[in-house]
Amino acid sequence: MHNEKVSTMGRASGFVGRGEVATIAVLALALAVPFATRSPLVYSLTNQILIATVAAFSVYIMLRMDLLSFALPAFMALGGYAIALAAKAGITNLAALLLISFAVPALVALPLGSLVLRLKGTYFVLVTFAFNEVLQLLLFEVPGVTGGSNGIAGVPATTFAGMALSSNEAVLVVTCIIGLLAALVTAGITAVYRREFAAISENETLATSLGLVTRRYKTIGLVVSAGVAGLAGFALVNMLMTAHPSSFSTMSGFSYIVFAIVGGRASMLGPLLGAAVLTTATQMFSSRGEYSPALYGILVIAVVMLARNGIAGIRLPYLGGRAAPRADGQPLERAEKTT
Amino acid sequence: METAISAGIIGIGLGAQYALLSLGFTLIYGILGVINFAHGGFYMLGGYVAFAVVNQLGLPYPVAVLVATAACAGLGFVFELLVLERHIDDHLATMMLTMGLYLVMGTALVVAFGTEPVEFRFPVSGSWRSGGIYVPYANLVVLCACLAAIAAVYVLLYKSDLGRALRALADDRPVATALGLPPKILFPAAFAVATGLAGFTGALVTPILSLHPHVGDSILIMSFMIVILGGLGSVVGAAVAAFVVGLVEAYSSIYLGGSIGALTLFLLVLATLVVRPTGLFGRQVRAA
Repeated sequence: MHNEKVSTMGRASGFVGRGEVATIAVLALALAVPFATRSPLVYSLTNQILIATVAAFSVYIMLRMDLLSFALPAFMALGGYAIALAAKAGITNLAALLLISFAVPALVALPLGSLVLRLKGTYFVLVTFAFNEVLQLLLFEVPGVTGGSNGIAGVPATTFAGMALSSNEAVLVVTCIIGLLAALVTAGITAVYRREFAAISENETLATSLGLVTRRYKTIGLVVSAGVAGLAGFALVNMLMTAHPSSFSTMSGFSYIVFAIVGGRASMLGPLLGAAVLTTATQMFSSRGEYSPALYGILVIAVVMLARNGIAGIRLPYLGGRAAPRADGQPLERAEKTT
Repeated sequence: METAISAGIIGIGLGAQYALLSLGFTLIYGILGVINFAHGGFYMLGGYVAFAVVNQLGLPYPVAVLVATAACAGLGFVFELLVLERHIDDHLATMMLTMGLYLVMGTALVVAFGTEPVEFRFPVSGSWRSGGIYVPYANLVVLCACLAAIAAVYVLLYKSDLGRALRALADDRPVATALGLPPKILFPAAFAVATGLAGFTGALVTPILSLHPHVGDSILIMSFMIVILGGLGSVVGAAVAAFVVGLVEAYSSIYLGGSIGALTLFLLVLATLVVRPTGLFGRQVRAA
């Protein structure tokens, strides 16, 4: 049974699932929103959904390896603050900022990864959680660079071919471009390393003993995940025109993890659906905003207990079903134990 | 010199509180293999239950502490039995479940008590002085209660049948179960002991520190730091690391300033992990 599974995965390497294609198509279609309507409500919601989706993609990449990283808001903050500082220094070109927002968190993730990925899964979770808090402290500790508790306000608008992208439409276009780029990167990394990630997720010890240098692939995953988080930070700072510590709180990290899990981690459609449904729900009940963590909490418990593949898994089993790392929702180790 | 002694006393007091908190955390990990993200939630719940019992029912503070401990232990027991138990072998699932519980608990407390810090005072005031050294009686009472509770946990784990059973399950679950130990009762019981400890700490400590619905975050991070430093699942490690962290925090807040102290602590933890990836007292890390 094992051999069969491995050989199936062998054929599937480099294969982009239907869920991925659908996700990229939806994000490409989002580019039409700024041209189709002028409603500020729709603009705001689309911006929020896209940013949440990009952040959830970052969680999703790690989940493909069965790793839960809480460093997401820290990497978002690194990307967001990096582009805020760059824009203040006069670099406002869209392509340059995209590169900076991806590269800065990725470069920080590289040494961090080589340090913490040696740790077993549980230690990894705890250290990434602590890393997040430390970055928050650092933001306050060096007010000369980060503006401390005031953050960096009045970030200049991104430019493209000498044109300032400052109108509401243009900001949304930038967010859409970031969303599409992040989707392509996420689809690319999970397709190229499908087998490696699946092997790490199923049974890391076995994968290592078979000669897979799991640490290398985990580091690659973490670095790309950090870069994608940085893109989300860029989109957030670009929308708010401010880089502020409160945008990158631990609680926001919980939310993005919830989006990815509730949406489902079988394919990229999961993070997109989770972000879209939960962001919209939060908006609809915005007069009762204080209840939204409880809604998220109940949903996470319900998904873990009732439907391990999330919303995407229940509603659209034919989309991305092939990519499901655990179609039966059972970890492999446990299935072995019971037999 | 007097400042240094005062800081040392504060550090030991903090250490005792942290030890209680991280004992519960490390117990859950050591016995069940679960990272309890709701640990800070149980701490807050303990504080708020004690606050409500004192302020709304008008009962004396020691009763409130007992009620808070019992309430947190009860909730922990039920949550483990009904929710966690089914996914106990999947570490990612248990993390998500406890995270979900934490989100629900935080919201419930905001709804019940509001987002502002509540006025919850320790019933004992005044302080003991000798020369320039100054120790509030409240801190002394808390220190004694914490040390007593730590001793009780030690006796429970190493001198009682329940402790022996729990340690057997932690060592080798299939064999212990085959020999007739009932995990369906003992796991919820272990979880209840740990959450009860968190509630006890909350009820005891929040009147001295502060009580608001976001205090759980920092408590959770502190527990994380301590158990990483001491070694996940190690009871002795958690206790020693708690006092190290308490002292580092007390001295660094006086000589270095608040957030530098937290940074120092994180660097210390990272350095420990580089040298000893299992923490100071950690043994074989549970396969995760």
